[in-house]
Amino acid sequence: MITLECASLKGFLDCASLAISGGRACVVLTETEFEKNLILRIFTGLTRLDSGKIFIFGKEISSFSYSELNAARKGMGIVLNNGGLISNLKVWENIMLPLSYHSSSHHDMDEKMISILGKIGYDDDIAVLPGPLPAYKKRLAGFARAMLMEPDLIIYDSVFEGLSPDIRSKVLETITAFQRQKEGRASLFLDMDGRLPDYIRADSTYILKKGKFYERN
Amino acid sequence: MKAKRITESILDTILYLSGLFNLILNAFKNLPSLRIRPVRTVFFRQIYFAGIETLGKMVIIGLLIGIVIISQITSLVGVGRGELIGKILVWVVIRELGPLFAAIVVIARSVTAISAELGSMNVQGEIASIEMMGIDPERYLIMPRITALTLSAVMLTFYFELAAILGGIIVTSLFWGIPFEQHTKGILTSLTIPELSASLVKSLLFGLVISAVSCFQGLKVSGSITKIPQATTKATMQSLFFVFIFDGIITFIFFL
Repeated sequence: MITLECASLKGFLDCASLAISGGRACVVLTETEFEKNLILRIFTGLTRLDSGKIFIFGKEISSFSYSELNAARKGMGIVLNNGGLISNLKVWENIMLPLSYHSSSHHDMDEKMISILGKIGYDDDIAVLPGPLPAYKKRLAGFARAMLMEPDLIIYDSVFEGLSPDIRSKVLETITAFQRQKEGRASLFLDMDGRLPDYIRADSTYILKKGKFYERN
Repeated sequence: MKAKRITESILDTILYLSGLFNLILNAFKNLPSLRIRPVRTVFFRQIYFAGIETLGKMVIIGLLIGIVIISQITSLVGVGRGELIGKILVWVVIRELGPLFAAIVVIARSVTAISAELGSMNVQGEIASIEMMGIDPERYLIMPRITALTLSAVMLTFYFELAAILGGIIVTSLFWGIPFEQHTKGILTSLTIPELSASLVKSLLFGLVISAVSCFQGLKVSGSITKIPQATTKATMQSLFFVFIFDGIITFIFFL
């Protein structure tokens, strides 16, 4: 799904390598939020490497044009820590945005959205702007938005941060169920919390230290 | 040292102008994206905000301006010269005031809104979030704003001119007793293709440059939310500056 080969970025990555294969749940732990955000930007092609290679869905994206990158991003779902919702769109418009932008057929989209919202336990009004919603609700809406696209790879950016144990286990249940829904779907958790691999039972855990990824057993 | 500073400032200006030009060019290239539903929604929202919501006030301003102009002209040339009054009304309103007033209203209403909105989206990482979804911000955010603001400027200019001319004619016919036909004759003989094209070209160019400047300044905001007010002020002042520059240039090309 995502492979880094001797990836270097000045002051950040120093010939770092990493492989996240399909059907697996992986955790990448960083020491700072800045590093975590930069990794997310590299994986989504927003920040280009100085040297080395990055493969997404088996294709080397360093030389990709902007439209090729956008096409590759369609296969990824990103659930950002703050939800990544657009503040001038209502919650339901936010959830539908990528699907209605990329898909020409708008048939039964609403039903699909309502069904996903029910599954993840979003019980708030969706006809409001996201500004006043608590961070957890924004994250859930971001999750619904990513799920609606049926991605092959889904990246979770500190999604468990600040959640009570009850809600955390409910979210984890939904994430696990979503991963199992499609064969080969991979989940990547970017986080700074060292306890994360214990409760999500990840297949592999990488730690970023001094510009390199180290696999933790 | 001074020469270096001058060179740097010239280079900055060239870069800025090419940035604006690129935004406009890309907006034209991305026009087919209006077929995409969310892009169309942004476009219609902008049309509603910049054009339709402003329409009522624009018509009232137009009527009042028309009355003021025609009162001044009538006091200057006398009551019996309806044809001349009609001609001057067309020259002043169609050539100059229509596009200029519409541009000023669009600047007052939409430039600050667009630059602040895009600036805040940039600072809060919403534009990056849009890109992560595989959506091109130039297609989704910029093109509909540039197109809608330009169309709104043209539409507001048209309504302003119509209201100003009608307002002027009605007032002189009612209060000075100048026959309606005298004005109509003066207006129709003065309404030539160059007059109408100048008005159209001006409003189109004003709309393009105002929208490009506000988008450019909004997208430039990064890091801190305190930079948003600076961006909106810059966008407003630069839009006004460009509008007056273009106004001078077009008037010169068409009528001198």
